[in-house]
Parts: sequence; C-alpha cells; structure tokens
Amino acid sequence: MAKRKTKSTFIGLKVTSEQAETLAQLQKALNSPTKTAVLLRGLELLASSSLPPTPPAQPTPRAAPQIATSLELSQIEAEARHYLNALAQTRNRSEEVMKQMVQELAKVDQTVDKYHGDRNYLIQILLDIQRENRWLPRDALIWISQKLDIPLSQIYHIATFYKAFSLVPQGRHSVSVCTGTACHVRGAPRLLEKVTDTLKIRPGETSSDLRFSLSTVNCLGCCALGPVMVVDEEYHSNPAIEEMEKIFSACE
Amino acid sequence: MPRLKSATDLETRRQEILARRDPDKPCVTICSGTGCHAYGSEKVAQTFAAEINKNGLKEKVDIRRTGCHGYCERGTIVLIFPQEICYLRVKPEDVAEIIETTLTKGEVVERLLYEGEDAQRIIHEGDIPFYKHQSRIVFGPNRFIDPKSIDDYIARGGYAALAKVLSGMTPEAVLAEVKKANLRGRGGGGFPAGMKWETTRNAPGEPKYVIVNADEGDPGAYMDRSLLEGNPHSVLEGLTIGAYAIGASQGFVYVRQEYPLAVENLNAALEQARDYGLLGENILGSGFDFDVMVHRGAGAFVSGESSALMTAIEGRVGEPRPKYIRTAVSGIWGKPSNLNNVETWATVPLIIDKGADWFSSIGTKGSKGTKIFSLVGKVNNTGLVEVPMGMTLREIIYDIGGGIPQGRKFKAVQTGGPSGGVIPESLIDTPVDFDELTKVGSMMGSGGMIVMDEDNCMVDVARYFLNFLSEESCGQCVPCREGIYQMLKILNRICAGQGRSGDIELLEEIAEVVRDASLCALGATAPNPVLSTIKYFRDEYKAHVEEKRCPAGVCKELISYYIDPEKCQACLLCLRNCPVEAITGGKNLIHVIDQDKCTKCSACFEVCPTRFGAVVKLSGVPVPEPVSTGTEVKRKRGGKSE
Repeated sequence: MAKRKTKSTFIGLKVTSEQAETLAQLQKALNSPTKTAVLLRGLELLASSSLPPTPPAQPTPRAAPQIATSLELSQIEAEARHYLNALAQTRNRSEEVMKQMVQELAKVDQTVDKYHGDRNYLIQILLDIQRENRWLPRDALIWISQKLDIPLSQIYHIATFYKAFSLVPQGRHSVSVCTGTACHVRGAPRLLEKVTDTLKIRPGETSSDLRFSLSTVNCLGCCALGPVMVVDEEYHSNPAIEEMEKIFSACE
Repeated sequence: MPRLKSATDLETRRQEILARRDPDKPCVTICSGTGCHAYGSEKVAQTFAAEINKNGLKEKVDIRRTGCHGYCERGTIVLIFPQEICYLRVKPEDVAEIIETTLTKGEVVERLLYEGEDAQRIIHEGDIPFYKHQSRIVFGPNRFIDPKSIDDYIARGGYAALAKVLSGMTPEAVLAEVKKANLRGRGGGGFPAGMKWETTRNAPGEPKYVIVNADEGDPGAYMDRSLLEGNPHSVLEGLTIGAYAIGASQGFVYVRQEYPLAVENLNAALEQARDYGLLGENILGSGFDFDVMVHRGAGAFVSGESSALMTAIEGRVGEPRPKYIRTAVSGIWGKPSNLNNVETWATVPLIIDKGADWFSSIGTKGSKGTKIFSLVGKVNNTGLVEVPMGMTLREIIYDIGGGIPQGRKFKAVQTGGPSGGVIPESLIDTPVDFDELTKVGSMMGSGGMIVMDEDNCMVDVARYFLNFLSEESCGQCVPCREGIYQMLKILNRICAGQGRSGDIELLEEIAEVVRDASLCALGATAPNPVLSTIKYFRDEYKAHVEEKRCPAGVCKELISYYIDPEKCQACLLCLRNCPVEAITGGKNLIHVIDQDKCTKCSACFEVCPTRFGAVVKLSGVPVPEPVSTGTEVKRKRGGKSE
C-alpha cells in the first residue's frame, strides 16, 4: 500500500500517517507541550536503541504504530543533525563577520565623536570614512544614520552628489589622469586613452582584482607637468606606454 | 608660545624673533608647493639637510621649505639668501655641487641659473624676465615664509595690520578703508568687497559669519591653493580683520579636499594662531572674539558657488539657490554671511597696512590692485604670475610667459574658466581689467589664463567646457540641466562630422535661454565658451559643419593620418610604434597607413623624425590612394631637404 505523506502539524515535516500518530502519542506520553522536547526524546530513544535502523516492512495499515527506527525518522534525524551543524558553523562565521563589523563601526564611532556628533559635519565625517576605507560601506552609512538621526536617504543624497565618495570598494592603487583645461590643451585625452588601454579599465571603474581604480580629475595644479597622471600620489608627466607599464607592474 | 595680550606684545615678540635672526646668514630656500613637490622637491630638501649636516654646516646655514614661488615650469626652485641666487630645475644630484660651489666657495653654479636670450646667465631672481615684470605684492612673500612657521610671518610684519585694527580703528573705519580701496572680489564676480561687507554688517541677525571660498573649481587655476599652502596666515589675518569690521564671531574656510597640503598647512596655522592668542577669545586683548573652522569640500564644482557653498557648510548637499535674497543678508543657517575669495582676503592686510590710497594707485580706474593668474597651456613659462591690473595680455603671455613653445603660432587665450571665453590674437592688447575682459566677451574669473596655439581646435575647446559643465551641473533647473546637455550633443555631432546647417544658429539660440533663465551663475555663464568661440572663430565652426574639416587637426573623426610618399624615408619608426599594426612597409619600402585600421592615436605623427616630417594630418580632403606595396623610397641625396 502506498504510503501517504501528510504534513504533520506537529513538526511541520512530511511524515507518514503512522509517524504522525507516533509523534502524537509521544507527545501525549511525555506530557510535554514543546516540539523540541518530543523530538529530542525521540532522538534519545533512537540513540539508545540497540536496534539498527531497519527498512520498514510493508506497513499494515491497522498495525499499532511502534516507536521504531523507521527510515523516515532516521532521515529526519540526519536532516536535523545537518542543520544543527550548519547552524553552528554559521554562528561561528557570523561571529567573525560580526567582529569585523563591530571594529569598523567602532572606527566610525571615533570619527563621529571627533566632530562631536554634530550632524552639520556630516560631509566631513563621510570624507574621513571614505579616506579610511577607500569607500563608504553601507553598514557604516546605516550606523551614521542611526547615530546622527539623519534619514538614510539624505545620506545617500550627499554620497551620490559629491564626487569624492564611492559606494563601491575602490582599488588598492588609485590612478588619476588630469583632464583640466591646461592638460586638455596639452593632450590629456590621448594620455587617458593610453592609460585606459594599458589598465584595461575605463575612468570610474575598478579592476576586478581590486588592484587599480582609474579616475579623471579636474586640475591638480601642476599644469607645467601637463598632461599629468598620478599614481598613488606620485606625479608623472606625459608617460609613454613603456613607462606606464613599469609603473603599474610595480603596484601590487 | 607666549600668549600675546596686546598690540605692543606682538611688536615685542616681532623684535624678539628678529633679534634671533641674522639677515646675513645664508639660507637655502626650497620651494615645496604642490607643483614643485610633484617635481621631487622633498627629496631635494632632504638631500640638502643631509649634505649640510655632513659638511658640518648645520649651524652656519638655514634651510627653509616654503610655499610656491610661481615659476612652476622650472621647478624645483631653490633660492639662496641673502644674495637671492635663483637656481632652477634643481635635482637631488645637484645639491652637493650647490653646497660646495655656492655655500662654501661663494660662487654660482652656472648651469642651474636662468639662461636669457643672449645666453646670458641671470643670477638674481628679480632679474629673471618671468619675475621682473610681475608685481608680487600678495604672492611674493611666499618665498620668505615657511608656511608651518607663524614666526616667519610675524618676522615679516605679519599681523601688524590686525594689531592696528584692533588697537585703534573702529569697525566702521576699517569698512571705510576697504571701500575706499575699491577692492573687487578676486573669485570671479568682481563685486566690490567693501560693499558686500557693509551689507552683511547692516543686515539684521546674529551671529554673523565670514567665509573664505577656497573651493577653486576652475580647471587650470591653482592660485588660491598656492596662497593657502604658502602663506595661510595672510588669509587668516585678512579674515579676522573682515570679521571685526562686519561684526562676525565665527569664520569658515571651505577648502576643496583635493588640496590636502593646503588643509594641512591651514590647520597648522590655525593652531599656532590660537596659541599666540591671535585667534579665539579676546584677540590681542581687544575683547574681540573670533575663531575659524575648516570645512573640506567633497568634489563638486557647483559647490563653489556662494549659496551652494553655504549650504554645504550646513552639512547638506551643496546646491545653489536663487539669489533673490543676497547671502550677505541670509546665508548660513539664514544668518548674514560674507563670502570672499582667498586672494581677496589675503589682500586686506596690505590695504590696512599701507593704506587704501596706496592700493588704488595700482591698477586701472575700474580695477585696483594686482591679480594673480595661473598662466598655463601652450606657453613657455608656465606658472603663477601676479601683475597689476591694466597690464595687457600680450605682455603677460610674451614678456612674462615667454611666448608659445616650439615656434607655434598663438591662437587664443582663455580666461575665466568654464564661465569665461576666448580672446583671439586681434584683441591680445586688451588690458586685464574686470570690465575690459567682460567687454570682449570673456571675464576675469578666478584667474585661469590658458594659452592656446594653432594646434588647438576652438570647437573642441567649447565642447570640452560644456562636457565639464554638464557633469557638474546640479540639475535643479531645466535651462542648465537640459540646455547644456543639448548644446553638448550638437557639438559632439559637429566634432564627429555630422554637423548640419543651422547647427551654429541653434547653438546660439539655446545659449540665450541658458544664459537668461538659469538659476545660478554656473548655468548663466555656461554659454560663454560657446558664444565667444563662435564669435571669434565662426569660420572654424563652419569648416566643421559644412566642409567636415577640422583646421587644427584635432577632432578625430574629421582627420586622417597620411604618410607622404615623397617624404617617407622608411625608417620603420612609425611602423613599430603603431599600436594596431596599421602601417605596412619595410626597409627602403614606403610606409603606408591602412585607413581602415587606423585609430587616430597619433603615435606615428609623434615619432616621425622632424627632419622627415612625413606623417601629416589631413582634414576635409579625401586621403590620396596609397602607393602600391613595395614601392621604394625616394632617397634624399646629400642630406639636403628639397
């Protein structure tokens, strides 16, 4: 006879009607209202039972349900142990993740305290965080929103208006090409092309290995060196492609 | 540092500092502004320190790192005092020789001196043509002052003007003096500072604020940065004097965050000023309280507009507002706020010190005093120059700037940044003056002066500025947001060879709306680059639109690179340097560019030896049929060119 599986209201899993009855009886027998207690008791019985789990014989519909190690129950047990394991692992990992986040947010706290928690200094606070992390992590923004009592949308308004802020992680090395007027008339567009071809990313993009971020800037004030490319605060005047390649390969 | 409790205290302190200094003691001054820093000035300075130590000269020679000297083309600049010997393009390798020859033997290192036209070497800074024609009343002190030392500033008479104000002048008297001097704002607007101060003073509301606008967004302009880096106290002194005259107790300096050295030096200066009691409560015992907060910008050009800047200081997004009510009446947090440019504030102590009459004796009728310009682009002597108002553009570009490099021909000079316009050769004798420059369709602006030559395309210049402005527009109002974008689209089409008849007229029409209906000055002045280039170079526009030709050879889609078979000497240089291998040929075989592969990167044009000059840019004419492969080169006999 085909086993009909119904969802047991007790444990929320699909079980056969026999198993459902067994569980109901267990519950009654234990006088315990909690599912956990019943399930644990069931597992205990399984564990202490010396009988190895036997595949069920053709169940007779009117046979009295036995508290036996049926295949389904052992499957439930296996699932339960698996989820217990996974939960333990996640708890550990999430602890690490939590630790990291707490550290980052502690630094955010320090920055906010530097400006006495004054919401008028929001832009200054964000600038400090941007400089520290090379981007504005979302959790930091949420934290600031809570601390300074500023709606998150307003913070995003500011973060997206100003060019200094980045909402995605930036590369470890920043490459900027000046496209100010003086550099432009001295051939900055051509230099930008060369840099784009060499780095294989366009202005505003970051390389997939997070090594480089390329951006254009409007006037570094070294017009005598124009056209200028800056790599990590080192200025280079109109570098040729070979020179560029040397400079970039020196950046890890 | 002893707290100075009165004007006499300050004077006593000045005498103390001077007494400790020997004016005849040799001092090696190394320019350490951002420009020279990029040339490696820090290494030069460190090498000097090390070598001086090594030679046992530590007690006999001073070293001073200063702010920008202005001659940025020839950095790193080293000035040896007291003789004022000026060494240019100094490298760390030169240091040992300088110490031995100049500091020990008292002679000059010829090769590091400026070389004049007749191969004459010029020793003294003041004799170098670049400096000789300037009037460096505001910028000059940079070379004597270590920005991190307030004592240097005081030794040169710094804060004497503030002392004079606080120990005997009423705010009204200060106001009257500044008005009499007719100091006009140096940030671009040219509005009379005295009038603005008066409006703020008379406006109802407390507290009042004074602000230094150090946002300096115009690309190509870096005068304010060099002033703030090199002589921050001059700005602070002017700001304090202004605060006293206006009745403000809190000041702000809004610096763009792209100027880290300026922020650093400014913060150091504020600390030192506070220590001395020149800032904070009861300044110099006068009962006047005033302090300053530094506020960094975050990368938005439009936030340099005065109402936008004030909104940014409030911690909100820096967007402008319509100025039905002046910011002098209602600014930060609705209070009267006086905003002036860095250079304007730095000029105030001079006016108080030497008097309004002295100041108005310099310059023209409508524009008094001097102005610092950043002379950049296609000019020999790139750098920061300070000239009296009224000097002509020709004098600045040729006498001071040394003319156009590589013998190219002057085409136009662009002033006023993205709000300004171009001035062609026919008007090069225009004097620099607020009103004169506006008359010719440009404006003074913050001081950017970009020289362009025959290899610059005016249509491309207009497109460059519109591109910049379209990105920086805050987007609040339709004329600016949509108008600039539409003009940019038209210009992009024109530069790509898809110009249509009527485009130029359409540009002019849109420009009118943008100019008249924009909410703020960014939009209102955005059409200037377009209108002025059309006004003076309409033929160039027409060539782009009607003939699909770019006379300057700039607009990529309108030019083709072609190797003249008569001139090619098959040296293989261009062939090897072409990044897309578009050139065929070989030894003794004429090189030919495959037009379908060519990406117009210009590498071949740049590497072809000048004596051959075989690579040319063609525009507006069809490219001649390539010679058949394997054609041999026509050798020039005896090296004579035909």
